[in-house]
Amino acid sequence: MEEVHKTYYLGETQIEALCGIDLTIEKGEFVAVWGPSGSGKSTLCNLIGMVDSPNSGNILFQGQEIILLSDEERTELRNKSIGFIFQTFNLMPVLSALENVMLPLQIRGVPSKIVREKAMNILDELGIVDYIAHRPHKLSGGQQQRVAIARALITEPALVIADEPTANLDSDNARKIIDLMRKINSLKGTIFLFSTHDQRLLDRVHRQIQLEDGVIVDDKLREKS
Amino acid sequence: MITWIKIGIRNLYKNKRRSLFTIGAISLGFAAVNIFGGFTNYMYTNLKQSFIYGQGNGHLTVFKKGFSGEGKIDPLKYLIAEAEMKTIRGFCMKDSRVLMVTPQLRISGLLSNGEVSTIFIAGGRVPSEIRFINSQAKGLLSENKFFEGKQLEDNITYGVGLSKGLAKKLGLSLNSGAIAMSPTVEGLLNALDAQVFQLFDSPAETLDDKLMIVPLKFAQLLYDTSSVDRLTVLLDDDKHIESVKAFLEQGLKQKGLAVEIKQWRELSSFYKKTKDMFDTIFIFIFVIVFIIVVMSIINTISMAVMERTREVGTLRTLGVKRKRIIELFAIESGLLGIMGSIIGMLLTLAIWIGIQIWEPTWIPPHITIRVPLEVYLVPGYIILSFLCLVVLSVVAAAFPARKAAHMSIVDALGHV
Repeated sequence: MEEVHKTYYLGETQIEALCGIDLTIEKGEFVAVWGPSGSGKSTLCNLIGMVDSPNSGNILFQGQEIILLSDEERTELRNKSIGFIFQTFNLMPVLSALENVMLPLQIRGVPSKIVREKAMNILDELGIVDYIAHRPHKLSGGQQQRVAIARALITEPALVIADEPTANLDSDNARKIIDLMRKINSLKGTIFLFSTHDQRLLDRVHRQIQLEDGVIVDDKLREKS
Repeated sequence: MITWIKIGIRNLYKNKRRSLFTIGAISLGFAAVNIFGGFTNYMYTNLKQSFIYGQGNGHLTVFKKGFSGEGKIDPLKYLIAEAEMKTIRGFCMKDSRVLMVTPQLRISGLLSNGEVSTIFIAGGRVPSEIRFINSQAKGLLSENKFFEGKQLEDNITYGVGLSKGLAKKLGLSLNSGAIAMSPTVEGLLNALDAQVFQLFDSPAETLDDKLMIVPLKFAQLLYDTSSVDRLTVLLDDDKHIESVKAFLEQGLKQKGLAVEIKQWRELSSFYKKTKDMFDTIFIFIFVIVFIIVVMSIINTISMAVMERTREVGTLRTLGVKRKRIIELFAIESGLLGIMGSIIGMLLTLAIWIGIQIWEPTWIPPHITIRVPLEVYLVPGYIILSFLCLVVLSVVAAAFPARKAAHMSIVDALGHV
């Protein structure tokens, strides 16, 4: 990201969410963006995840200037290269756990047989293969978040963006989820970018980026534990 | 696509109550359109049968050229002479699709009971040939007798039929005697004795106090002519009307006969007016049904979009393109249209079966006896309604679906 600015307008009020952000994230990083509410964490993740556009500045994703891409091209790139994990899981309520995980590849048009096999493998790896037929409302918070992680990983993305992934989980589930993400990060080199307040997660990341009022006030590397 | 259809079906099931209301509106609309359409079809069929067979007008009528123009002012100038009539009749009967060719002469004059006179207009026809035409009728006309008294006969010239209004006006009843007066084609006054053989309901109220049916010989005697003013042609099948007409026109022209041939539709103004009226009502009902369906679909899909805004945001984040979001809601709406139409079809069928079992009766205009009230199942209407309602359902979903697809992803994800 180079000199990225993002301003929102609420009526006549102008809110500068990000003020000239410069940031580079390398392959294999396990990064958390943290800061108080309204500091710009979510906006930063949204811009990196191509679900929002900056007012000015440049964002490069795998060498591509995303600001120059059309909505269709950005949508395809999101599907191919970015996985999303949401605080409230955002699973499709009418689909089973397996069908939710299969969804991103089905969007791409990959044959169902291949997708099903791949989804089963991931669900097996994440330890929820026994719940494949369950709809989201029949799963616990931890199970739902595992399904969401499986959904984010099935496309083998270069980047996973997770918005407060542990906020709705108890300590035990939060620890398990963090372990899981770290394992994937170290095995596959997938970049994980978190937006979080959760100290349990902050303690386990390799890099902490602190935001305040839309500005990076601290960017520090931590020793890998 | 299967995934999206699956999502569509499950979302409809998830909101069962709302889906059922929408499906109910569509199916009731479907049934209303098709039952009314089936009723109008029954009306059209019977009016057509009545004109062609019941009133003995046939499918085609051959006139001397100019009869429908100038001939309306001075019909006697456009009479078909006996020799021409024989030539036309002979040529027509050569076509195997022609079942009957019968001459007619329309006359007018005064009818008197000896004390009072009133204007009459009459069709002079060959009774046995008209009976043959009557006998070809199907349905209501073949099952019912629409006059009181006895049949007219070819060889009993004086036996005539009167419309009930005319008989009442002159105080005549069955077997009463009357005198018909009229100028001949030469302009001399002529009078003939007549006896009332039958009383019938006029096909048009305005003619009820004027209409008579007389044997052709009676009409020719009164006008003192052997000519006729038209030849009625009965065909074996409606579908041959155009081709036989073209064949006759060409053949008679080659024989040097200047004639004009009219189809039954062109001559039956009552059929045309009735059909125009019912077609207008049908369109009106169709439009109302469509508005209800469109409003109901827009309401259902708008609520679905509102409830699932976050879901739309998630799908867009996962890489679903805008057009696919529109498709997703269009599929749901199309499914509502398909289910509503199928239930509508079953409802239509159930009502049709109910009518077959219950056998309700009614008295249509211009008929004095009760006849069965029927509703026809018209495949054309059913297919058209099905296609229209499904397409309409999909189109109606476009507006709210488009709104959902073009929503900012961030706003959609943040929607509560």
